[in-house]
Amino acid sequence: MYKLISVISGAGLVQRLSDKAFIPFAEDNTDYQAYLAWLAEGNTPLPVDEQGVQQ
Amino acid sequence: MAVSVNGTTGVNIGTSGATLTFPDSSTQNTAATGFGFKNRIINGAMVIDQRNAGASVTLASGGTYTIDRWQGYEDTDGVMTAQQNSSAPTGFINSLKLTTTTADSSLASTQFALVQQKIEGLNIADLGWGTASAATVALSFWVRSSLTGTFGGSLRNSAQDRSYPFTFTISVADTWEQKTVTIAGDTSGTWLTTNGIGIHVAFGLGVGSTYSGTAGAWAAAQYFSATGATSVIGTLNATFYITGVQLEKGSTATSFDYRPYGAELALCQRYYQLITAHLAQTTSYPYSCGTIKRAAPAVTSSAGNLSLAGITPSVDTFWARDTVAAGVYSIYISAEL
Repeated sequence: MYKLISVISGAGLVQRLSDKAFIPFAEDNTDYQAYLAWLAEGNTPLPVDEQGVQQ
Repeated sequence: MAVSVNGTTGVNIGTSGATLTFPDSSTQNTAATGFGFKNRIINGAMVIDQRNAGASVTLASGGTYTIDRWQGYEDTDGVMTAQQNSSAPTGFINSLKLTTTTADSSLASTQFALVQQKIEGLNIADLGWGTASAATVALSFWVRSSLTGTFGGSLRNSAQDRSYPFTFTISVADTWEQKTVTIAGDTSGTWLTTNGIGIHVAFGLGVGSTYSGTAGAWAAAQYFSATGATSVIGTLNATFYITGVQLEKGSTATSFDYRPYGAELALCQRYYQLITAHLAQTTSYPYSCGTIKRAAPAVTSSAGNLSLAGITPSVDTFWARDTVAAGVYSIYISAEL
């Protein structure tokens, strides 16, 4: 399971809840590739908090 | 100064067993392929263990990093652990030990256990694989197992649609033996020369038929090992130790490229780095990733309360604070392949 942290265009972040690792939206990051594969399986991340970007 | 023999400049030793003797009485009987940094494997001597500091880890189906740069997969009905070990052949102080703690003696066709290193494409670009001028490589390593017989492994490309299964024989149980495999470079397929995966170098620990292929030939398939290889995961309490792993350009395996510890650590830190830092609670501050990373890294901390202030890490910097309490934390920075 993942949670979106920031969806700034080209510089987003998602958090992997199993170990709370922050994963950048970077195509050559293998953790991000795993996140994309997870999305492709039909999963949906938890949304960004209402106040916007988590500080 | 040049040496001329029969009108030809140079000295040719073409006789089997011939040895070149230098004025200081040192000798050489194999061709040198370089005097340093010839090994494309990082942490081949198994000395760097940032993640686990010598502790045992259980391999998972999705891949588990053991000691630095080495990743184990166990996708069977058994269980296997990996741990840095002090058993090693002369000239080494560490090895990677794999132990079967729950056996699976009847692997399904798609089940497998293996340990491998993914070599970055930038570090194998000179091999020219995927072209007509693909260079031959020599893979050498030391192994020890409680089992004897024919074992296997493979080299694969990033897309895992090109594979070269190989075999090696362990003749005596619980005894260190050095093995060498010479592999003609692949003239087909796509081999990345970027910061992606260049070559997977895998050692099979029990591989089902789907992922096992004929040894000694390139195939357009995803093979982790050779057909008929011994299954370590198939025997309870079986052990498999490996160290001194070297992949070098050329057809002759040469002496191990024993690099300074600091240099080897820095090579590992391009992919993963553990740092210790003081984090504030309410204000985020910038921190160096240490060694420039292969790619923008994933970041987490020992407390699990890290916040990156919504700022995506770069290959050299991240911003962070701890949302619960200021203090000193371990921070894990990963840009693994």
